[in-house]
Amino acid sequence: MKAETIRALWKRPRLSWISLSRLLLAAYILLALMAPLIAPQNPYDPLQIYAWEASSPPGTIGGAGYIYLLGTDGLGRDMASTILYGLRISLVVAVTSTAIAALIGVTAGVSAAYFGKWADSIIMRIVDLQLSLPTILVALIAIVTLGPGTDRIILAIIIVQWAVYARIVRGVALSEIGKPYLDATRLLRLPSMRTIFRHLLPNCIAPAITLIPIELGSAVALEATLSFLGLGVPIDKPSLGSTVASGFQYLFTGQYWISLFPGLALFGLIASINFVGEDTRRHLDPRNSSI
Amino acid sequence: MMTATLGRLSQAFLLLLVMSLIGFVGIHAVGNPVYNIVNIETATTEDIRKATIALGLDQPLWRQYLLFLGNVVTGSFGTSYIYHLPAFGLVMGKLPATLELASIAMLIAAPAGTLLGLIAGRWQGRALDRAVLRASVFALSIPSFWLSMVLILTCAILTGWFPSGGRGATVSVFGLEWSVLTLDGLRHLTLPALSLAIPNVALIARLARAGTIEIEHQDFTRFCRAKGLSRRRILFRHTLPNISVPIVTIVGMQFGGMLAFAVIVETIFAWPGVGKLLIDSIQLLDRPVVMATLTFISVAFVGLNALVDLFYAVLDPRVRIAT
Repeated sequence: MKAETIRALWKRPRLSWISLSRLLLAAYILLALMAPLIAPQNPYDPLQIYAWEASSPPGTIGGAGYIYLLGTDGLGRDMASTILYGLRISLVVAVTSTAIAALIGVTAGVSAAYFGKWADSIIMRIVDLQLSLPTILVALIAIVTLGPGTDRIILAIIIVQWAVYARIVRGVALSEIGKPYLDATRLLRLPSMRTIFRHLLPNCIAPAITLIPIELGSAVALEATLSFLGLGVPIDKPSLGSTVASGFQYLFTGQYWISLFPGLALFGLIASINFVGEDTRRHLDPRNSSI
Repeated sequence: MMTATLGRLSQAFLLLLVMSLIGFVGIHAVGNPVYNIVNIETATTEDIRKATIALGLDQPLWRQYLLFLGNVVTGSFGTSYIYHLPAFGLVMGKLPATLELASIAMLIAAPAGTLLGLIAGRWQGRALDRAVLRASVFALSIPSFWLSMVLILTCAILTGWFPSGGRGATVSVFGLEWSVLTLDGLRHLTLPALSLAIPNVALIARLARAGTIEIEHQDFTRFCRAKGLSRRRILFRHTLPNISVPIVTIVGMQFGGMLAFAVIVETIFAWPGVGKLLIDSIQLLDRPVVMATLTFISVAFVGLNALVDLFYAVLDPRVRIAT
């Protein structure tokens, strides 16, 4: 009885914790959507940037009349604005690549299970082999091969991520294929495309969907990491990762705000996505409740 | 068991072959490395032509690839365009520093993670457990490069406790340079090792926690408790050996992963290892070194995984019977 009361008391902070991270995530999305409206400065417009105000500490009042809340970077861009615009790029890259990776992965997984034989072995060999290497290594190999650039980094993240979806969906699809309703579609002589997408896919997509938030978080992190290493998003329209990278050299001369604040924003974004993702998974997927 | 391992190894080598082909074609497509070797301002067309022939870049691409493959088998990846040294030797020369960093990081991560996981799992649902779980999500969310930067900012720049980069003094033992053996080297090692270790502590703790929860609900631990064994003895003598198999697996895998993640940490802490070499070489379009480094990390990772598989069988008799 008593233990239960204690447990119940402990439950409450977790609830608020989850809603806090949901709130944070919603705020991020809202900020990213409204960035041009909120940001005091358009960091891509050279006319709005005063180079002589470069590396001003937070709180400096700028020549344009507004306060640099988070200071300015080495080129004189307002950090708050750069972070807001960078957030847009980070989110767009992550969401696009996660969506396409999920689409490709799910399609590949279902097709592998449905067609079997050589299609299955080819797709699953690639998946197995790719998943046996660490993601950062696959991403590095991909980006070295593709070269730097925003479109290339999306492609690199897709290459890294599609395999996870393919493996999990194939597993579910294989167990679905033995069921009578799929025999029925075969008896009705439905075209295989229709069978796959209208009948098989809806029944095995659930576990893939629980993966999406987790993969979204890792996509944000991956993009930031590659951009930080100078292999991703170009510096003139920086994402959060490349903003941190451009601030790194200023760390040693005491201008901590150029790298600290965008990094903090990035960390908050990834953490909130991961917390929400874990919560979603816990609710949707009872098998993973313990981890 | 043996055939399964061999099968996995041959599969992995097929992957490495395919990846090397894709990588080779890709690097070729990115940019002509000749322009990094010659001085564009002063070089004549004749100079460029000579350099192209000297580097073997005038051959058709498939000939270049076959040449490259032949060289890989014999362990030579060609000569670095920048350092004018054999690329593979260059990678091997940087390897001890990376291995040292990764080993120290794992020596921190494995015991700390296991201990945290055991404690969290033993008192599942309590405040400590919740704190560990929550902290682990945070630790896994921190981008590795930012964690390193915050460590530099707090522990090096603001307080001056540790140096912010470099390897420090080393001692030569068995012909290799070691940082661990000098105080200065240890001070240089601490921050990069911590920043490699922290995400792994979280990962191992979560795994150990899940394992502990599973074991704690089994009959034999209940029997141990009925026998009157102390909690500590149950936890360390009975639960720990039973969760060791997945932990050894993840430690082995993550050690390979550390070799890859060292790319980030080494770049930030200016640690003269394989990862920093890779990033420098990518930026300088030093193709032989990039290929040598990527191939080496991939092969090392695949090899480590195979090793872990074998070790698995040593640790857990059930695996031996099953396969």
